[in-house]
Amino acid sequence: MKNIFKKELMRVFSDKKMIFSLFILPAIVMIGVYSLMGTMMNKMESDIEEHVSVTYVQNVPEDFKALAAQTGYDVAAEIKYVAADASAEEVEQIKDDILNGDADLFVVFDKEFLAKAEAYQNAGDPIPGVKLAYNSTMNYSSAAKSMFEAMVLDVYETNLLQNRFGNMDLLTVFTSEDELIINEDKANGLMLASMLPYFIIMMLFAGAMGLCVDAIAGEKERGTMATMLLSPVKRSSIVFGKLFGLSVLSALSSVVYAVSMIIAMPMAMGGLGMGEISFSVLQIVELLGIMVSLVLFNVCILCLLSVFAKNSKEASAYVTPVYMVVIVLGMLTMFNVGGTAPATSSYAIPIYGSSLAIQAVASNELTLAQFGLSVAGNILCVLVMVVVITKLFNNEKVMMNA
Amino acid sequence: MIEIKNLTKIYKLNKKKMMELKTKETTKKAADNITLTAKPGEIYGLLGPNGAGKTTTLRCVATLLTPTEGSVSVCGYDTVKQSEKVRENLCFLTNEIKLDPHFSPKYLFQFFGKLHGLDDATIEARRKELFEYFEITAFENKRIEELSTGMKQKASIAVSLVHNPQVVIFDEPTNGLDIVTARNVTDLLLKLRDEGKLVIISTHIMSEAEKLCDRIGVIIDGKKVTEGTLSEILAETNGADLEDAFFRLYKEHHKEEK
Repeated sequence: MKNIFKKELMRVFSDKKMIFSLFILPAIVMIGVYSLMGTMMNKMESDIEEHVSVTYVQNVPEDFKALAAQTGYDVAAEIKYVAADASAEEVEQIKDDILNGDADLFVVFDKEFLAKAEAYQNAGDPIPGVKLAYNSTMNYSSAAKSMFEAMVLDVYETNLLQNRFGNMDLLTVFTSEDELIINEDKANGLMLASMLPYFIIMMLFAGAMGLCVDAIAGEKERGTMATMLLSPVKRSSIVFGKLFGLSVLSALSSVVYAVSMIIAMPMAMGGLGMGEISFSVLQIVELLGIMVSLVLFNVCILCLLSVFAKNSKEASAYVTPVYMVVIVLGMLTMFNVGGTAPATSSYAIPIYGSSLAIQAVASNELTLAQFGLSVAGNILCVLVMVVVITKLFNNEKVMMNA
Repeated sequence: MIEIKNLTKIYKLNKKKMMELKTKETTKKAADNITLTAKPGEIYGLLGPNGAGKTTTLRCVATLLTPTEGSVSVCGYDTVKQSEKVRENLCFLTNEIKLDPHFSPKYLFQFFGKLHGLDDATIEARRKELFEYFEITAFENKRIEELSTGMKQKASIAVSLVHNPQVVIFDEPTNGLDIVTARNVTDLLLKLRDEGKLVIISTHIMSEAEKLCDRIGVIIDGKKVTEGTLSEILAETNGADLEDAFFRLYKEHHKEEK
């Protein structure tokens, strides 16, 4: 068993291409993709900030220019005034410009906007309106609308209400105050808790996929498995040697994925308020325990599927649907953050239970029973699968295609 | 020594294989009640057309397949009940069984030596002897995938002989080899025979069988139809040579599938 275990490790570590594709390339890709995402997001934000929006305004109130100068809107946006009697063709042209991205916003004040607002006395009196035409599919246009509302309309509203009531406090009937009663660790971990199970489960499975398919179905295809079956070693020793070797390699591969993710995630998500997240020693131990059981489970299920296949291509066809199921199981917990707590027995379901347990670790809520069940569920399945794989290794129909 | 008693091997056919073989039968008898004995210090040749059951018989001897009926013993060990002991005493080489392309001949020699429970000194001594014989030393550290077909075959033979087995089984030993490598292999078979090993080969190359084999068993449609030395078979069939004898036997025993 020891020799087969060492050979499995040697197969990877003696091959520069394998080391690169298994450990270096995923790190480069992950860091590259996340940093690219971060750069693109930052670039998009700064691009919107730097963009001077083109705003058309019709029927402007008399004090509009003064107000725009006071709030700085006349600098932040390029204001183009449209005559009150502008033709339908001119208005259509402005709308076409907004549609094509040549303009960002078209604001139409009701005629005698200020007079109507100031003359309001009783219910039923006419209330003046402002129509904002913009393109919600264009970032510049949406940003121009938000800026106009904040720098012009909100100020107008405050000023007019001040004039109408004299004292703005008259509009305040009561005040309310929120007091947050939360577990700070849980609060910090909520966002992480929603994403971590999915990422870990997906990474662990993806890390093991190629290795296991090649080590079992690939060896069958190349005829090298038969060479090993002809040695005077028990089939169970071959199975154990392969499974342990593959588990170690998969675990190392997933560590690379995890470290890359830790480095890369802040690059993409720095602005999303994840803040500082740190794990206690107990949480790390819990996480490692769950991950080790998951790696063993993944390696066993992948090897089990690969044993049935005559070649790598066939094995990949068997593995792909299982990979999709694994992704779905990992995603199921993504939408359950802060919701109803799942039954403790669900933690014993392989993969799904691990996903729940990882989520609970991130939000610092994992109980010993839940931890034990999630690990035991995986390990129990591993034991069953090892027995089945060993039996299959002794089956000439499966191993020799007889 | 190998003793095969009433060996029968029946494969179940799935629909795909039934279509491939153009048959309505759900089973195929690949080996049909074969009995033979081969002794140390001889080269025993299994002769037959493709699909006759030679490889199936040899795979049963090598413990890769389990007989449906009958028994096989190698050096006194039963291939089903004592399969690991059997594998300690034989090597089985065929074109379908290959070396891992990611490793060098040297690494694989050591790896299989250890799987056979040999100590480092024994492995090293065997490696020197076999690598020199096959002239592998020059490329012993190259990966198998970088080697030519001839080099790969040499490496495969050397690795399969790491444990100095008493029984050497070669399925189509020279198939696909260039003339120089083929000569190397046939010389090796004679050398092993002279060292007192039992060598079993399967072949459909008549000249090879004539030149190499001390005794020949002819298998047609899964049945052993005759066995003996070359002269005994020629006398039995009135054949001018082995090829002629084989065709006479084939005509007599082969049944066209309907």
